[in-house]
Amino acid sequence: MSAPHADQIVNGYLARLEQALADMPNARRTELLEDVRAHIAQARAGLTDETDADILNVLDRIGEPADIATEARERLGVRPRPPSRIGLLEIGALVLTPFLWPVGIILLWTSSAWNTRDNLIGTLVPPGGYMGLGVLAFLPLIAVRTSSGVCGSPGFGYCPAIPSPPAWVGLLVALLFVAYLVLPLLTAVYLGFRLRRANARPTVPA
Amino acid sequence: MPSDGLVTQMRKGALEYCVLALLVGRSRYAFELIEGLASTGMLTSEGTIYPLLSRLRRDGLVDTEWRESTDGPPRRYYRVTAEGKRALKAFRDEWAGFRTAVDAVLEKGATL
Repeated sequence: MSAPHADQIVNGYLARLEQALADMPNARRTELLEDVRAHIAQARAGLTDETDADILNVLDRIGEPADIATEARERLGVRPRPPSRIGLLEIGALVLTPFLWPVGIILLWTSSAWNTRDNLIGTLVPPGGYMGLGVLAFLPLIAVRTSSGVCGSPGFGYCPAIPSPPAWVGLLVALLFVAYLVLPLLTAVYLGFRLRRANARPTVPA
Repeated sequence: MPSDGLVTQMRKGALEYCVLALLVGRSRYAFELIEGLASTGMLTSEGTIYPLLSRLRRDGLVDTEWRESTDGPPRRYYRVTAEGKRALKAFRDEWAGFRTAVDAVLEKGATL
């Protein structure tokens, strides 16, 4: 006859153990959970008329999940996971680099979550983020103003004809435009991805 | 025994060889190993033996196999390998020398 709350108690314990082992490689964690599960089953098999107290005693003798996890880390060589590096600084950097580029890249370089290569990608791909798009959009406008604003007005007379730019310039501007539309988003996604990878993978020495 | 750093380290280091020594005679399952180690006071809690056994398995010092049991669920039996026996012998030699040397100095210190 099972104790009234046996499953609850045992599952609660195993859940805590799984939590404590969260930074271990999957295979090691699964193995340890299986071993402890089997241990509990065997201990219970030896009990007659098991009570809730009996189960609690079995779990007491097995020990605190935190202690087992510490032992596992020491024996199986996993460094304890460093605290999560996704903070306000990192979120700010991710969001602001596309939209408020100067502030965004300050946050980017200030945060220690990304290496130099990633920081450079964030800064230069593309430079200015979506704000760079605004600068790009200005260029044709400036060109139009200078070519027509002064020359057309009375009193200035004849203006030398300004040749219209060759077709390839137009194409280049169009390409830059598209790049500036797409790249800030891609870069933000890339940086976000790099952040998750650095956080998720526990390090196990060979 | 006091649980300061050094003694804890010594216990940790020697524990795996104690497990290997218990397996030399015959294969045992975890409960039996825990029982065998209980008198030494080297196992802080029963659950901590499993990371150790996992390590021994990874290092190839022990093998395991599941066997049916008449009075309960199947049990995982641990068996020492040839590699494990070699490691145990090396430890025994080291330990003998270490113990003699430390004893000698401790003895000397006491009589000074």
